[in-house]
Amino acid sequence: MTMLSMPLGALSNLVAAADGPYIATGEAPQWVALIPALPLLGAVLCLICACLNVKNKAPGYLTVGLLAGSFVTTLVAFLGGTDNYGVATIFRWIHASIGADSGTSLVSNFAFYFDGLSMLWMLFVTGLATVIGLYSSEYMSGDKGLGYCRFFFAFNVFVFSMSCLVMADNLLLLFLGWEGVGLCSYLLIGYYYKKPEAVAAAKKAFIINRIGDLGLLMAIGATFVVFGTVELRPLFEMIAAGIDANGEAIGGTWAVVVIPLLLTAGAFGKSAQLFFYVWLPDAMEGPTPVSALIHAATMVTAGVYLIARMFPLYAADDAMIALTVVAWAGAITAFWAATIEFAQYDIKRIMGYSTISQLGFMFAGLGLLGTTGAVFHVFTHAFFKATLFLCCGAVMHGFGGQLSLRRLSGVMWMKGFGITAVCMLIGCLSLSGVPFTAGYFSKDMILAQAFATPGDMIGGAYFIGLLLLLTAAMTAYYTFRVFFRVFVGPKYFEPGDDDHGDDHGDDHGDDHSHAHDAAKEEPGDALHTGFHPHAPGWAMNTAMVLLAVGTIVIASLYFVNKKEDHGWAGTMVKYSSAAYASPGLGHKGDGEKKDEAVGLLPADAEAGAVMPVSLVAEGVVADEDATAKASGTLFGYDPFKIMYYVSAVLGLIGIIAAAWFHGPKGLAGLGIGNRVEPAKVRMDAVAARFGPIPRWAENKWYVDELYHIVFVKVLLVSSHIYHAIDKLVIDGIVDLLGSLPRWLGSLLRPSQSGVLHSYATGMVAGSAVLVALIVLVALL
Amino acid sequence: MSLLYWLILIPLIFAVVIAFAPARQARSIATIGSFVSFGPLLAALFRFDWSNGGSLQFVASYDWIADMGVRLGVGVDSVSLLLIALTVLLGPICVICSYTAVTENVRVFYGWLTGLQAAMVGVFAATDLVGFYICFEFTLLPMYVLINLYGSKNRKRAATKFFLYTFTGSIIALAGLVYVVFHHRSLEGVWTFDIPTLAATAAQMPLQAQSLVLLALMLGFAVKVPLFPVHTWLPLAHTEAPTAGSVILAGVLLKLGTYGIYRFVLGFVPEAVIEYAALIAVLSIIGIVYAGLICWVQKDVKKLVAYSSVSHLGFCVLGLVALNSVGATGSVLYMINHGLSTGALFLCIGMIYERYHTRSMDELGGLAGVMPIWSSFMVFFVMASVGLPGLNGFVSEFMCIIGTFQSSSAWVLEGRAGAAGGSLGPWFAFAAGSGVIVAAMYLLYMTGRVVWCTARQPADYHEHPELPKDLNRREIGLLSVLAVGCLGLGVYPTPLIEAIEPSVERTLAPYQDLLEERAQRLSLDEGEG
Amino acid sequence: MVDLLLAQSAFPEAMSQHVLAHYLFVSAAMFTIGLVGFLTRRNLIIMFLCTEMMFQAAGIALIAFSRFHLNYEGQTFVIFVLTVAAAEAALALALVVFLFRKRDSLSAEAWAEMKG
Repeated sequence: MTMLSMPLGALSNLVAAADGPYIATGEAPQWVALIPALPLLGAVLCLICACLNVKNKAPGYLTVGLLAGSFVTTLVAFLGGTDNYGVATIFRWIHASIGADSGTSLVSNFAFYFDGLSMLWMLFVTGLATVIGLYSSEYMSGDKGLGYCRFFFAFNVFVFSMSCLVMADNLLLLFLGWEGVGLCSYLLIGYYYKKPEAVAAAKKAFIINRIGDLGLLMAIGATFVVFGTVELRPLFEMIAAGIDANGEAIGGTWAVVVIPLLLTAGAFGKSAQLFFYVWLPDAMEGPTPVSALIHAATMVTAGVYLIARMFPLYAADDAMIALTVVAWAGAITAFWAATIEFAQYDIKRIMGYSTISQLGFMFAGLGLLGTTGAVFHVFTHAFFKATLFLCCGAVMHGFGGQLSLRRLSGVMWMKGFGITAVCMLIGCLSLSGVPFTAGYFSKDMILAQAFATPGDMIGGAYFIGLLLLLTAAMTAYYTFRVFFRVFVGPKYFEPGDDDHGDDHGDDHGDDHSHAHDAAKEEPGDALHTGFHPHAPGWAMNTAMVLLAVGTIVIASLYFVNKKEDHGWAGTMVKYSSAAYASPGLGHKGDGEKKDEAVGLLPADAEAGAVMPVSLVAEGVVADEDATAKASGTLFGYDPFKIMYYVSAVLGLIGIIAAAWFHGPKGLAGLGIGNRVEPAKVRMDAVAARFGPIPRWAENKWYVDELYHIVFVKVLLVSSHIYHAIDKLVIDGIVDLLGSLPRWLGSLLRPSQSGVLHSYATGMVAGSAVLVALIVLVALL
Repeated sequence: MSLLYWLILIPLIFAVVIAFAPARQARSIATIGSFVSFGPLLAALFRFDWSNGGSLQFVASYDWIADMGVRLGVGVDSVSLLLIALTVLLGPICVICSYTAVTENVRVFYGWLTGLQAAMVGVFAATDLVGFYICFEFTLLPMYVLINLYGSKNRKRAATKFFLYTFTGSIIALAGLVYVVFHHRSLEGVWTFDIPTLAATAAQMPLQAQSLVLLALMLGFAVKVPLFPVHTWLPLAHTEAPTAGSVILAGVLLKLGTYGIYRFVLGFVPEAVIEYAALIAVLSIIGIVYAGLICWVQKDVKKLVAYSSVSHLGFCVLGLVALNSVGATGSVLYMINHGLSTGALFLCIGMIYERYHTRSMDELGGLAGVMPIWSSFMVFFVMASVGLPGLNGFVSEFMCIIGTFQSSSAWVLEGRAGAAGGSLGPWFAFAAGSGVIVAAMYLLYMTGRVVWCTARQPADYHEHPELPKDLNRREIGLLSVLAVGCLGLGVYPTPLIEAIEPSVERTLAPYQDLLEERAQRLSLDEGEG
Repeated sequence: MVDLLLAQSAFPEAMSQHVLAHYLFVSAAMFTIGLVGFLTRRNLIIMFLCTEMMFQAAGIALIAFSRFHLNYEGQTFVIFVLTVAAAEAALALALVVFLFRKRDSLSAEAWAEMKG
């Protein structure tokens, strides 16, 4: 488990020792290469297992072991504190000079950049990967053999790519990881390759990501042109000084607007924001552990990471155009996804949309200049969303792939599902933002930030805040809608058609045998006498419990270094390129810190090299007092304080609404629900009043269909037209030219009669003409 | 005798031996022959002075037609040597992949296949225009025979079209080359066909003459590449050719076109190239996107990959006309990478064709369940072709795009650190980059249908008498070699990039000043306007 | 050398232009007869004979010129032509026999295989 085993004392050590600037100038130890190397080794081993036709769980356990090694390495690096922050160059990857004369060359090493941000990310990436790997070792046991190897191969490659992405020392290596995780996502979404939907979803995910990637690629190109490097450290040094490679000021130039916007496009693709979100719900076709790890906890947060990583560039723009775009896009996506969730019935898809929505929160946080909040939310979200997914997976695993809200009820009371339900409850509470859960603290930071950030920095920040508040309430509602319908209430289930491995009935591991007996006692399956739900075994339960406990424990991180850095995440962020003292955040601590941390000041003002100093120098921030005043309020209070109450109230309202509309009769429905049948709820009557709107929402507002017509169809038709043009016109012209000699020949053909005398006559006539000509010429 | 002569002679000798050997021995002799070439190749690779890769090495020449200054000259710089290495590497692969595919007229097949290698090496090794051109044209003949005799249904038409189309193109190129020779004669008073000598004088031609030469050369080489809109022979030829033919075609023959552009167009007529770079780039980009979209609606797997070659080589030409080191290095790297990954794709498809006798995506599908090993390789090479970082395609594609991105006069004037002069720029890069998306679209569409989904087999399928359901060891070996190459060049391309750079820098040496001048001129124009 | 040979030969003096004209006239007449015969007759053997006549007409002209110029080149050439013509005659007659066997006719019109 990620944070559990770590003594909290180490954190304070870290803080005590840390005085470095936000650019990691040191040298990271070479052994950090183990972090990506171990999963890579795992991938190779899985490949070997596939070749040897291993039919047991060896690939799964190997993976878990190696990932645990990777996690331990990360942990050791983390406990080493800021001494380990820096660059570790492993080998030269791409070196290309751009011309004989100019000294510049495109340098891109296989090198790792370690600072607070990458450390934080690596901690939860490797930690969660280990736990989810353990879960998968059981979850995927139905596919033992080639499929099992394939799964863990991709799983390992994913962790490798994600490590490259997060620890990359240059944008190109980041891009390598970026595409690598895309590949693994493709392979794993399409894991059940016999299902056409899974294949289509995999393809969709990859292609939509590619569209965003083009933006990232262009951003890398532009960065190289402007700054003459794609390596992070020199890049940050230049941005900190506010200059480009020629030493000219970058403030106000196109570079600080266009490059961030292009990066944003990439981030949106990977993190399913705004127009790009459509791939993520479909990605739920993949096995549930994949959804948990890749499509909830880690990969989809890569977009957040990218923006946080390149934050200095974003902040270098006086007008903050890109950040405004990010903030609004995040808020709109959060709200939009929440509306769709209201009418979804597939629990995994609900979680998928919820991920989109929560990612929207993170983007809004980044856009609102609250990097700490956003990063902390990434961290907590990784835990509680992974928990939720694993619990959904346990249900799905147990009920033959059944995912529909309407066909499941009272799972909590069925034998063997108690742990699942409790873990689910913990996850739901955290996602809903119930007080003192991890999600509560992290979401609050973002929500409060929206009101703290002045509107003249990020246009409409206040309205973003209102939108996010509304979304927060909606989140609580849809989260508990799932819980109240699936986990409590009368016991009922219909098994699914079991599309994730057909052999649960006959190919359980030993740890499942007890589930058979238990299942026989289950009521509610009279209609399906052949089917017995089987409860999760030890591996799955362990994973769920670990994550649920983690979800609870990480809430405490909010109180670590709270005064200095606004929580542990703040400490980590402080020593990273995302370091940025957000407006208003200074109010939250005690009074003395106020002057120092308010406004656009660097998190560590004394370090000198920190980025926003340049902004101060350029007059972005005229004087500190003015910024301090500009920091907004909510109802006349400090937003960071009042938000504790506001969001708690909203969350509770959401939960109560869910209980009222979906809760079962009795205590489990908080005493206000009235559901007695599995699928009959108060909400049905309400929904009926809205006419076709719920149906539209269930059909995801027809966005997929719209895209299909506007993009896919149009392109497809034009491709057919091109193909026709290619065959008829372009090749036609060639064939026409080619047939020209033939046509000429056919004109002259009659002259070749085949009769000897006609040739002879022709010859004589020809010679006669020739002679006549010669004579004529001679005479003249 | 120069190693390069050996590299040409060994395949030639073996071709003759195969022609007269008993048919039963043909394939083993061809195999031995293709491996024997590795000897001189390895020697050449080791003895080559890589630090000085821009200059011609292993130079040797014999008088041939003394009066006209025609000599049998050979010599390689790093780019030619690497392309020769690619050719020689693909030699045994092509031979071995045909073991079960070609069972009739084996002597003719292996004889021509081996002879073809001599011609291809000759193209890259020649330092004399006449030698170059002879080899360049001689490649047509074996390929014609291979397609015509061993192709599938529509092979006669494909072979004829391939021959006539590319032949017409190269005749026009010959006119351009001859013009350069005449120009040299009128300037210096002596006949010579020595390429480096000619390059020096050709660059002094007036712009108008340069433009005409450029037109002639581009017409010839663009057909070979093939560049939009003279690409239509390729899908046909590729689809009909036998597997070995497709591999050679994609792997090396197309590179003759880009190599020609690199060596002659870029080397001979710099001013005209600068003038028309944007135009050529536009054609390349149209090719990238247009051919990519056409791929997307193909039903025939092989045709899809064939069209994808058009799309991919668009990047190659784009990188060249970016006229800076990154772009051109990327382009040369692309030549090698494309040879590996697309060659491998053709191998994969050939293996399927041998078993199912169909390449239609309607009839085939879901092979992941039936042929897991094949499917793994297929997905791997598809990803290499899509340009996934970590595999070879990415490095070169990325460098081509970045090269295009930098290639802008405006940025030179601004004094941007990472900029190089040129007439392309970010918009060109963006348009070309959209080709990367299209590549993902069509390749994943193909993978989705052939590899994934529910299993489909042709109705009249029965198992191949000699081949197992999934790949046998021979086939796995072939694909593994290429896979290792793809992975190696993706993870650690530095040595190759460093090897290519000196040659590229020498070729692009005249451009730096010309481009700067041009940028200044443009800024003056703008100032006046 | 050539002069020496000529000096030793039996006819040391050259032909006069007048005599040459006679020879040439005969040659032209033979050629024309052959040509007209070739064009008008349909019998393959006759046509072949006509070509032979044209050959010999050319030969006469060559010999006449050779004598006129006092060198042996023309005569040498005629010897070659005669040799070739003999071989050719053998081949051609064989072909004619072959063609006759195929069609039972010697008419040239029986054959139009080369029609385009």
